[in-house]
Parts: sequence; C-alpha cells; structure tokens
Amino acid sequence: MRGEGVQVDFAETTATSTGAKASRKRRSANRMPMWMLFPTLFLLLLIIVVPFLIAVYTSLIDLNQYTLIHWVRAPFVGLGNFIDALKQGSALGASALRSVWVSVSFSLVTTAIITPVGVMAALMVNKPFRGRKWIRALFLLPYVLPVFVIALVWRLLFLNGTGLIDQVLSWLHIANKSTYWLIGPHTFWAMVIADAWGSWPFIYLMVLAALQSISTDQYESAYMDGAGPVRSFFSITVPNIRSILGLAVLLSTLNHFNNFTLPFIMFGTPPSPQADVLPLNVYITSFQTFNFGLGAAMSIITLIIMMIPAIFYIRMLKIGEGATR
Amino acid sequence: MRKHAKRALLGAAMGLGSSFALVACTTMPQGVNTSNGSAEVKPGGTSTASATHANTAHENASISPVTISLSLGLITSNPQGQKKMVNDMIAKFEKQNPGIKVTWSTWDSASQEDTDIETMTATGQGPTIMDVGPIPTAYATHGFHVLSAADWKAIGGKSRYFAKQLTMSGPSASQEIGIPWEINPFALVYNKKMFQEAGIKSPPTTWTQFVKDAQKLTKPSKDQWGTGIDPADSIDPWHINWVMAKQLGGDFLNSNYTKATLNSKPVQTALSFWFDWVNKFKIASPNDLDYKSTDLVSAFQNQKIAMLPMQSYAFVPSLNASAVKNDWAYAPMPTIPYGMSKLPKGGTPVQTFTSGDFLVIPTYVQGAQYQAALKWINFFTSVPQQREIFNSIGYLPVNVDAYKNYKPLETPTISMLEQAENHAYPYPFSGNWGNVEVAFGGAANQIADEIATKTYKNGDIASALNAANEQIQNTLQ
Repeated sequence: MRGEGVQVDFAETTATSTGAKASRKRRSANRMPMWMLFPTLFLLLLIIVVPFLIAVYTSLIDLNQYTLIHWVRAPFVGLGNFIDALKQGSALGASALRSVWVSVSFSLVTTAIITPVGVMAALMVNKPFRGRKWIRALFLLPYVLPVFVIALVWRLLFLNGTGLIDQVLSWLHIANKSTYWLIGPHTFWAMVIADAWGSWPFIYLMVLAALQSISTDQYESAYMDGAGPVRSFFSITVPNIRSILGLAVLLSTLNHFNNFTLPFIMFGTPPSPQADVLPLNVYITSFQTFNFGLGAAMSIITLIIMMIPAIFYIRMLKIGEGATR
Repeated sequence: MRKHAKRALLGAAMGLGSSFALVACTTMPQGVNTSNGSAEVKPGGTSTASATHANTAHENASISPVTISLSLGLITSNPQGQKKMVNDMIAKFEKQNPGIKVTWSTWDSASQEDTDIETMTATGQGPTIMDVGPIPTAYATHGFHVLSAADWKAIGGKSRYFAKQLTMSGPSASQEIGIPWEINPFALVYNKKMFQEAGIKSPPTTWTQFVKDAQKLTKPSKDQWGTGIDPADSIDPWHINWVMAKQLGGDFLNSNYTKATLNSKPVQTALSFWFDWVNKFKIASPNDLDYKSTDLVSAFQNQKIAMLPMQSYAFVPSLNASAVKNDWAYAPMPTIPYGMSKLPKGGTPVQTFTSGDFLVIPTYVQGAQYQAALKWINFFTSVPQQREIFNSIGYLPVNVDAYKNYKPLETPTISMLEQAENHAYPYPFSGNWGNVEVAFGGAANQIADEIATKTYKNGDIASALNAANEQIQNTLQ
C-alpha cells in the first residue's frame, strides 16, 4: 500500500511538476511578446509622454521671448498661467473660456450639419447604378483638397460685396449685398459652412464602409417578410451602422475642435471674437505674443476638454469589443 | 531559460538601439548640418572671443571644410529667380573660399520665421545664418551674436550699409545683432492714368490733399475708390498708423519702451483718420473692412483703387504683371497730418519706418563656422552680389556703393525710395513689439467689426486702444 501510495504520490508529483512547467511555459510564452513592446513603449514615452510633461512644466513657468533661451530655469509661476488663461486671452481680450465656447459650438454645429449629409450621400451611392464611381469620386473631392485651399476659396466666396455668396444671397433677396462674413458675428457661420463643405465626406466614407459590410441577405429576408424600404432602413441599416456612425461623429467632433488652418486662413490674426477658436487663440498667445507659458496652460485646458469625448470614445471601443466577443 | 534570457536581451538591445537612434536624431551636435539633405560633421570651435575666431577659422579651414547653412525667406513672387541667384552665388563663393561649403533652405511665412527663431533659441540648433525681418524679437531672445568691431570690419564696416538701416540692427550701436542685406522703404503707390483722368497733376504731399485727391478719384457707381484700407490684415494696420501717429507727435511706446502709449491722442487721431476714409470721407470702399493686404493689392491691380499708401518696392514685380503695369508710380508718403499746414509740435516727418531684412548668427555658431558665416555675409553684402540681388529678385541693395554709377539703380522711383530710406525712422526697439502688433491689429479689427455691423459709436476707438494699451502694459518688462 505504501508502495502504491508512493507511486501515487510520485505520479501526482510528476503530474504537478509537468503542470507547473506547462504553466510556466505558458506564462513565459505570454510574457515574451511584452519584451517586444519595449521599443514601442519607448517611442510612446518619447513622442507623447515627454512632450506632454514638458507642456505641463511650461504651463507652470513664465516662459516668453526673454526666458526662452534658458527655459529650464524660467521663473515658476504655479497656476498663474491657468488663472490668466481664464481671464485674458488674445489681444482682442477673448479669454480661453470664450474660445472654448466658440470651439465647442463650432465643432458641435458642424458635426450636426455634416452627419445627415454624409449619411444621405453614403446611402445614395451604396447601391450600384450607372456612373456610381464618378459620383463617389466627386463626393471625395472636398476631402482630398488641402484645408488651406478650401479656406482660401471660401474666403474669396465670402468677401463682402464682391464675393459670390453675397451676390447670390442678394439676387435671391435673402440678404443684403453688403453682409460681412469675414468680420463680425457672421464669421462663426462662415467658418461652419466652409468647414462643413470640406469635412462631410469623412462621415460619408465611414458610413459607406459600414453600409458595404451589411449582408444583402438581411435586406432580402426583410423584403420577403414584407418589410418596406423605410422599415428596412430603421431595422437593418441603422442598427448596423450605429457603432461606426457613433465613432465617426466622435472623431469628427474632435477634428473640428482642433481645426486651426481654416479660421487662420479665412480670417487671419487676430480674428473676430466669434471666430476666435481655441487653437487660434493658443497660436496667437504662444507664437505671436510669445507667451509660451500662457499658451501651454491654454493647451492643457484644451486637453482636459478633449478628454471628455475621448473618454466616451474609449468607452465606446470597450463596448464594441464586448459586443464582438 | 537561456532562450528567454536571449530574447529578453534582444528586446532590450532593440529598445536601447531605438533609443540611441532617436537620441542621436534629437540631440545632433551643433556641428552637424542636415539642411537641404546634406549631413556633414563640421569642426565647431568653442571659443567665444571674436579675436580667436579668425585664427581657429584659418587653422580649421586647412584641416577640413566648414559647412555653413543659410535659412532665407522665400521670395514667393519669384522662387525660381531666388533659387538660381542663391545657387549661383554659392558656387561663386565656394570657388573663392575652397574651405567653406554652403547649403541653404527657406522659410515661407512670418509665422515660420518666428517659430524657427524660437526653436533655434530653445534647442541651440539650426542654421548658421538666419534671415529675419524684425530684429527686436530676435534680440530679446539673447540667442544671437552681438557683433564686435572686428566682426563689422570683417563684413565691410558699418559705412558699407545705409546708416538708417543700422538703427534696427540692435537697441544701440554697441548691441547690434542684425546685418542688413536689403532695404525695404515704404511709399505711396498710385495709378497715373486714374490721376490723369481725374485731372490731378501730382501726388499729394499732405494728408489733407490726399483726402481731396481721393475724393476726386472716387466713383462708387463704378466701384472705383480713391484709396483703400485693410484692417483684417495682421501687419498693415500698424504700418500706416504708426507712421501717421509719429507725424502727429506720438508713438506706440514711450522712449525707453517701459510704457505703452497706444491710447495716446496722436494714436487715437491716426486710427480715427484711417477709418474715416470709409466712415466719413467715403474715399475707401466699405468692402475693405474685411480686407487683408492681398485683397487690397489685388484691388489696386484691378484698377479699383487709385492710391495705396505704405507699399514697398517689393510690390513692383506683381505690379508689372498686372493690368496697371504701365500706369503705376511711386511717390513719397504724405507727411503733414490731416487738417494741418505743417507738422504739429513733436511731430516727425516720417515717410517710412526702417524696414528690410537682416542676417543674424545664432550663439551656438562658434569658431571656424562663425568666421565662415561672416565671410559669407561679407560676400553677400558686397557691391556685385547686391546688384545681382536687385537684378534677380528686385530687392533694393543695402550697400550704399551699389547705387553709384549703376544705371539700373538710377531710376526716379529708386532714387525716391533711396531718399525715403535716408529719412526712415526706427520703430520702438522693444522685444514686446510682437505683442504691440497683435494688440493694435486686434483694436483695428474690432473697430472694423463695429463699422461693418453698424454698431460703431464715438469713443469706441479710444476704448479699443485703451484695452490694447492695458494689455501691452502688462507685458512690458
């Protein structure tokens, strides 16, 4: 019995030992790729974390044209730049808070305009018809144009009196021929229209990709069950494109918020307060008035604001991952 | 275990390899130049004393070639002409100086110019010689060499250059950092044909006459205007308003640059007068309220505007390529303020501020490289090259001798601009001048907004300038 027991113990020990080895091997195998991530992690550290930490440091010091050469030793001002950012901004007196409001409004309104346009355009060219490839190419035209070209073209269109927009609006008796779009309160809408024109193909592309991935079987089954086009749209199309559309809307909102080139080219610096978006305000503060500390503080504020949709985005990705598991 | 250890080591080695590669890229030694695709290790000396530069330069030149890199402003009106000119000059210079190799690149906007200066200052890396417009900001960074007497001697002596141009080389004669390489005086450009049609015999010399002439030239039904304004531009508003404020006895900053005076009476009067061209005299189109410089120039070229104040000779190539190529002419800017028969007490007869491009050498350039930089500048500002610059890209020479006995530079327009240069006045040499420009531009933009939206009322100019002044005062140090 004892001998049997020893044998059992030995067998158990051998089994345990083999199991432990296998487990170690698995763990090692799992650990192995982690080493391979080191270069990537190093790059991330160098490209993202280090500049971010420098930006945080810059936001806490009095860095300007006089202290730039010895920027590491620039006077520490604590949260002074953040306080200044909330009470003063560009030379126009637009504070960072005001610019935040302009930027948030600009990105939300533009996204609200381009989303239905992009979805409708994608639906229009989803099914084959003669000349579809030409229409698809045409739809992409605004998206492939550089933003500065779009801004220059729209600046010419919005010029007071001589611009095409004023001419057309006047001819249609909608507005006065002397409606200023590049200064004053209408600058916001000029910026929205120009940006919407240049960016709606992004939504179109994303939605079209989602539409192309929907199996035609679903529509055929629905048709055989007596569902009409409207019912098919809401019961098949919308659920299938919802996650991609959500992602497109989020990315679009972030892109619009960060749009610097368009208002910079259209209005120059300093712009009217209604078009003084945060990126432009940060640029003027940092690179035209050389107040890098204040500019960095405004950038950190931007980052915090951008984190809100970013967190939504990450949560959405997690939900998406959960759904596909 | 050994395998794992090897993999771990391999991973770590890859990581370290990447790190070193990146660190090598980001912290390249000052002697390494990567501009225009060339990458050479140059002998960089460590001596800062000017007296030792020449010796080290001579010694190093005999050991291995020195490479200097130039960062020049892009001539957007003639990039091909600039490319050919600079390449030809470099070939000539390298032939004359076998130990020196020159590479060059361009910056294409004022924004990029500022960003480059900031990057050079913060990182201690960049070109050997930088072409800059406004010197005060560059000076404020303390990132550029102050030129010694020996340095000036090496680049032809101060007498080589227009004396007025040197007033913007530094805050004082002993603190100069910029070597001028072209002059860019401003004047009034006008359409001779439109003047003839309106029966005006000569360009105005007073602002009162300017308004009267402009009224004669204005025909709103034909969309023809006596003059124009561009308040949406970030630079032009301060150009003309500073000149008019100086004529009225004012300035944007006090004499030692410690106090902002944007809200002073002369500055308010100047800005009011400028907007009165649209508001009161109706000699400029209301459409101008959202104009930038390019829009205004385009209007002049399309014969919509008869007189354009504060334009430089750099405007000529585009004029010659436009519908007014046979009709344009330059005249000195009016100097007597509106409603006056002579300058008021304290007023100065300013036609133009000191304007042009300068070359600066960053402090990270040392030893043989510094001497090579001075040799290039000496070559670049010499009479033959200065004339070549004029012939190739139309920039007016800064070398006074270049004008002597040289027919192409003896035209009436150039003679007039040469005279204007001799009467140029420097704007305040303050490191905060960038802030002043932005603040003044902001005030001009705000008033244009109000006029356009018909919300402008008396006192708004004073309050806009008060706000701008307060903002500037907070930044002065």
